[in-house]
Amino acid sequence: MPSADELNGLILRIARDRDRQAYGRLYRHFAPRVTAFLRKSGLAPNVAEELTQETMLSIWRKASYFDPARAGASTWIFTIARNLRIDHFRRSRVVEVTESEMPEESDPAPSGESMLLTSEREARVRTAMTALSDEQATVLRLSFFSEKAHSEIASELGIPLGTVKSRVRLALGRLRALLEGET
Amino acid sequence: MTSRHHATDETLMRLAAGQLPAGPALVVATHLATCPVCRARLAAFEAVGGALLEEIEPEAMPPGAFAAAMHAIDEEERAPAAPSLPARSRPSAGRGRAPSTLPGGIVLPAPLKECEIGPWRWIGIGVRASAVTLPHDPSARVTLLRVGPNRKLPEHGHFGTEFTQVLVGSFSDEFGRYMPGDLSEMDQDVEHQPIVDPDGECICLAALEGGMRLTGFFGRLIQPFVRL
Ligand SMILES: [Zn+2]
Ligand SMILES: [Zn+2]
Repeated sequence: MPSADELNGLILRIARDRDRQAYGRLYRHFAPRVTAFLRKSGLAPNVAEELTQETMLSIWRKASYFDPARAGASTWIFTIARNLRIDHFRRSRVVEVTESEMPEESDPAPSGESMLLTSEREARVRTAMTALSDEQATVLRLSFFSEKAHSEIASELGIPLGTVKSRVRLALGRLRALLEGET
Repeated sequence: MTSRHHATDETLMRLAAGQLPAGPALVVATHLATCPVCRARLAAFEAVGGALLEEIEPEAMPPGAFAAAMHAIDEEERAPAAPSLPARSRPSAGRGRAPSTLPGGIVLPAPLKECEIGPWRWIGIGVRASAVTLPHDPSARVTLLRVGPNRKLPEHGHFGTEFTQVLVGSFSDEFGRYMPGDLSEMDQDVEHQPIVDPDGECICLAALEGGMRLTGFFGRLIQPFVRL
């Protein structure tokens, strides 16, 4: 499995050289994952495949906007797929207004927290996620990837709604504590 | 401006996951525009998405998908589509008229610039409201509220989470004082009674999650704008 740096490097090669080989490797790594994500989020297999192809084509088109100092390859591709999924549901594009598109003038001096290097932040996120209990990881995954309401997750797992809510809250709180270094 | 009231972890996670409805997402985006703290937290939750994408069990693409993708980029190179610019720099089709009077010369926050913003309407003593229409989701209900100094709003509960971003002035309720840049998130179980502070009127951007349940104070406020 390619490392985070290798994946970043593939996108940078596409941006710089329109490198088809790099694109091919990126496709083989990400297309099956993006499809899996879209299917888990409730899309029919054919729609998921279609949006995956769109996501991959967007990567080719937008490679020059990729900035590894802002988000790593997986995170960047996740947000592209997420936005296409939102568009698909004809919701709003406002969700796209995240850090990467913030106008500079509305951007006061970054806090210490936001200066945390991206690669370090992403590595910490991964470490933090492995430190969650199985129960917490399960509700986090379900509530992150699926459109399901907490009540549906509760009946799927056969636990009370209050328990789902408190597990989500605990998981997020734990994640945050780990990210802020209070391990 | 430094915010003191921020988006909750759960809200930022839903935004990162693409699951926050358009109305609340617009209000939270307005908060993010001036809050580097929440932008950093959102980036961390988006990284959770990236990490989950890495650990997900991959699903095989159908045969021919890879060839089709390579073909698509060949086509792309032969006849490049209009360069794909970030959404923000694209000319907007539905650029709204600014509300006739935004007192205090307030500049519309960037996330609102693509929205159509209706005229101020009187909806109660000392309370005016303007409907905000989102270009990509006309069904989303977001309201600009403009409330006079010392104006006390009736105590109310909520039928879904209520998101309120202060743009100008300030208000206080049982949970604190909300200044420009602050985001108030009120759970559906919570009751509160906002009072605009005495030093001037308060303009805020509000969205209620859950849509059509029109009871409750903000429900009634929003009612005139609901296109049923
Ligand atoms: Zn904040
Ligand atoms: Zn309220």
